[in-house]
Amino acid sequence: MKTKNDDCTCERGGSFPVWGEGFSRRQFLRVTGTGIVASYFADVLSPSLLHGATGVAPQLHNSAKNCILIFLSGAPSHIDTWDLKEGAWTPASFTPASYGEIRFPQGLMPKTAEQLNKLTIVRSGLSWAAVHSLAQSWAQIARNPGGATGSIAPHIGAVVALEAQKSRQLTDVLPGFVALNSGNIPGAGYFPAQYAPFGVTPNASGLAALTHPDGASRLTGRWNLLQQIDPERHNGALGKNASDMGGFYDQAKVLIDSPDVNKLFSFTPAEHLKYGSTSFGDSLLIAKNLVGSRRGTRFVQVSMGGWDHHSNIYATQGSSIITNMKTFDPAFGALLADLAATPGTDAGKTLLDETMVVVLGEFGRTVGALNAQGGRDHYLRMSVVFAGGGVQGGRAIGKTDAEGKNAAEFGWSANRDVRPEDVTSTIYSALGIDYTTVRHDDPLNRGFEYVPFAKDGTYGPVNELF
Amino acid sequence: MPRSQQILVFSAVAALTFGARAQEIEPTADCTLSLKQMHRTERDVWRDLSRNAELVAPSRMQSDANGGARRRTVTPPKSPDAPTIPARNYIDTEIFGKMRTDGVIWTTLSSDEEFLRRVTLDLTGEIPDSATVKAFVADTAADKRDKTIERLLASDAFNDRWAMWFGDLVQNVTNATNTVEYAPGRNAYAAFIRTSIAADKPYDKMVRETLANAGRSFFNGETNYWVRQIQNNGPSQDTYDNLSASTGAKFLGLPLQCLSCHNGFGHLEQVNSGLAKRARSDFWKNAAFFAQVTATRANDPATNNPETTLVDNTTGVYRLNTTSGNKTPRTAAPGAPAVADPAFFLGGEVPQAGETRRAAYARILTAHPQFARNTVNRLWNELFGMGIVEPLDSFDLSRQDLATLAAGATLQPTHPQLLTLLANDFVAKGYSLRGILRTMVQSSAYQLSSRYTNGAWNESWTPYYARHYPHRLMAEELLDGVFRATGVGGSIAVAQMPTALTKAMALPDTVEGGSFRGFLNGFGRGDRDENDRTNDSSIVQALSLLNDRVVTDRIKATANGSTVQKLVRATTDPNAIAEGLYLATLSRYPTTAERAAAVTFLKAGDLTKQTEDLQFALLNKLEFLFN
Repeated sequence: MKTKNDDCTCERGGSFPVWGEGFSRRQFLRVTGTGIVASYFADVLSPSLLHGATGVAPQLHNSAKNCILIFLSGAPSHIDTWDLKEGAWTPASFTPASYGEIRFPQGLMPKTAEQLNKLTIVRSGLSWAAVHSLAQSWAQIARNPGGATGSIAPHIGAVVALEAQKSRQLTDVLPGFVALNSGNIPGAGYFPAQYAPFGVTPNASGLAALTHPDGASRLTGRWNLLQQIDPERHNGALGKNASDMGGFYDQAKVLIDSPDVNKLFSFTPAEHLKYGSTSFGDSLLIAKNLVGSRRGTRFVQVSMGGWDHHSNIYATQGSSIITNMKTFDPAFGALLADLAATPGTDAGKTLLDETMVVVLGEFGRTVGALNAQGGRDHYLRMSVVFAGGGVQGGRAIGKTDAEGKNAAEFGWSANRDVRPEDVTSTIYSALGIDYTTVRHDDPLNRGFEYVPFAKDGTYGPVNELF
Repeated sequence: MPRSQQILVFSAVAALTFGARAQEIEPTADCTLSLKQMHRTERDVWRDLSRNAELVAPSRMQSDANGGARRRTVTPPKSPDAPTIPARNYIDTEIFGKMRTDGVIWTTLSSDEEFLRRVTLDLTGEIPDSATVKAFVADTAADKRDKTIERLLASDAFNDRWAMWFGDLVQNVTNATNTVEYAPGRNAYAAFIRTSIAADKPYDKMVRETLANAGRSFFNGETNYWVRQIQNNGPSQDTYDNLSASTGAKFLGLPLQCLSCHNGFGHLEQVNSGLAKRARSDFWKNAAFFAQVTATRANDPATNNPETTLVDNTTGVYRLNTTSGNKTPRTAAPGAPAVADPAFFLGGEVPQAGETRRAAYARILTAHPQFARNTVNRLWNELFGMGIVEPLDSFDLSRQDLATLAAGATLQPTHPQLLTLLANDFVAKGYSLRGILRTMVQSSAYQLSSRYTNGAWNESWTPYYARHYPHRLMAEELLDGVFRATGVGGSIAVAQMPTALTKAMALPDTVEGGSFRGFLNGFGRGDRDENDRTNDSSIVQALSLLNDRVVTDRIKATANGSTVQKLVRATTDPNAIAEGLYLATLSRYPTTAERAAAVTFLKAGDLTKQTEDLQFALLNKLEFLFN
């Protein structure tokens, strides 16, 4: 999730340059075995290699078919948005209003305000670390990146894609996990490369290089020749890295052979305008198309960076929460409206009913008056927003104290802060994935838990959402 | 408690501890390095596996009734004895010695063709052309590999490839998140780097000039090291911190960034036991070496770009008085002076009389043994695919030497003695990049095959270097390889450069690329700012190689000067065409079976079209994409 500003530590517009995240989880695969690929189908197809909870029965809501994860990297201010705390600092343009129990800055987020009845805000969220890259990875792999299995952990979208493999149809030509506008994010971890996020940069005309310039039939002949003269594509003789590339070729060929999917990645000027005329908006539009198409994509991540407002957070120009919301708000509002207006697979259901939408950053920002630079700094308290996929909207779960620092009410049965692991458990539960699963095919021979400690009851879904 | 549970419990404790800590230090903590530090990398994992005398199967285990893990030892696979390999130098003594001790069965030496392609790519970033391959195969001299190494070390292409390496290291780029070099500065810096490498300037001298030279950023290119570290949105101490942290990471392999916000104690015990003993004040003293410089920016009339001029002074201090910017507040301990005086992070050396602070820092840093150790570790990584110490910028100095290793701790290097020997050799060779690279590529360890033919391969042998482990070509290698294999080059315009380039490896950064930018970016060249270079593969890369006109237009017989055009004009013999395409594309002769299959294919339709298709397939063969 490397977008400008996110690492920083610093004021608006700046970020420490010297080290990027640098860590490619998939680098791991450069030294791991081809055996993983070979064993993969056996693993999926033979449940004996998996086992569920030993102590806790999972609560599987099984209420969603898809998930759209909207990641706001850089960490947006919670008390200026989802957990509004009005004070002398609050700009008049926020024009706060009450929507039932939700006090909301409708002037800042007018399109979102129109959709409040569809979403539920969890205000007792708490990050583990006020360090951007660490907390970002933590939220996306549901564990401490520095912990025992952090280095091999797949992105939660890759887990969803692998679990969905069992129900894939022949017409499911799209990768299970698509990442839009997201840059370098965690990948497939120790899972086979086919579950890695398919990274797409939105373009009105769709995917680049989807069509062979010399014609489809010419490519068919060339492809067949390639398979014939290159046995090393799949036999692992050149190692796992090369085998992965062979797998990506196969996925690419499936896309090339299904040119109709390109319409899912394309959009008209009117659609572009409706979603706010930004790349982020285009990404949400494509996300909606992908989950609505039922062509194999089950998890979409859309990222938007630039929320690290250490200075001038209320500026009307440059990067500020006000200018960022001009990107986020129309797109998010249009997404919820469109999902709710699109029929789902099951009778009487909308696409929103079948798609869990989650919005979060890696943490929140300091509360009260602004700092000396007119900004807010890193802070662990945060809000997490859920909509669709079985979530009852129009509510807030948990309360913070008057300033927005500590949880005054946790608002859920576990009676503690909601951690990234709980958010992930909630997503898995909604999708019918047993979040207490422990796989025994990991290269560390430690057992790979979908959510660490969930099998012991330490983490679990926020059942109150449903 | 089963091992797996112990580890998971530990992880939970670490997680909770870190969470609490983060809350304590919360605002404006700049610790972007933490992720990298906190991670045990995947390579560490394998390294640990390889350390166990009891080899653990990497992907298989049995579950017991409790769902816990039971480890299963693996007996070495039935295979022939490891082939006899000549020991060319001390590298082989160490690498093969360790394998012999641990019962690891290594593969055979690479064939001439495999060696030629690998060493040509590694030293020059280019694939060998047909004529070179033919001549090399035909050469019967016993020392032909060494002669090839000498030819490549002396080649012009060597300079491009290693200038790209150093440019990546120092992150020379026009626009970064924290600062702007401007294109003339970027170009001047690239020219300094390339000139230095072409002259085989001793690496320590090159780094000293990078760290200490003053002057104008559009003319004295090395001054852009400073410009690149300017933190535009903070007090000057933030810039000094960037310089201190970046020099530590790039030239010493130390993650000093961690100490720029907080002490090591209580933070870094699980990350870097050496740094856990150090204080933030140690970091400030190291940063104070940069506090006597004036950097002024003024418009350069010739280019109409703002140019930075660096001047070293005899005044200026690192003050402990900040509360804003990118770091936690800087305050002196009670009773201590409110300024930090310069003292080198390792060893505490201070400037001599009459020496500028930066000159002192450059002198002290490059004379420290860790400078050579870091450098050879990075170079080893370029050739062998992983460092002897990983991550490259995270040496734990408490875990380098068995004699000083704490009880219960493990050594960080996979081959500690080898790292020391390489570093000593590098110093003895006068810090010559060519000198140490020559020693590395002359070794039999480097010249092992990437194919494993001695029975079943065991993944835990990877960090032993029991076979060469192929990686995807760099973006620049790939594009230049397509140019060379097809015979159809390209013209790459670069900002503020008078003439266009003909090869991607000669680019001054990883952002330029003219009409080839999209193709190059798809192959993970990074941006020398927030995104590091990566060898990962992707669907997008496969789509590019299959459908991008960068590839498809270059295999056409109608493309002027194309390999296909030359072949079909020269001959109608399918055998000759097949051989020509294999040589031009894969830098080797086809095997008998490949030749037969190719001839059959070429005869099966219009010869020109079939020839185009065959080169297309060869360009998409994994063998072409990997080295």
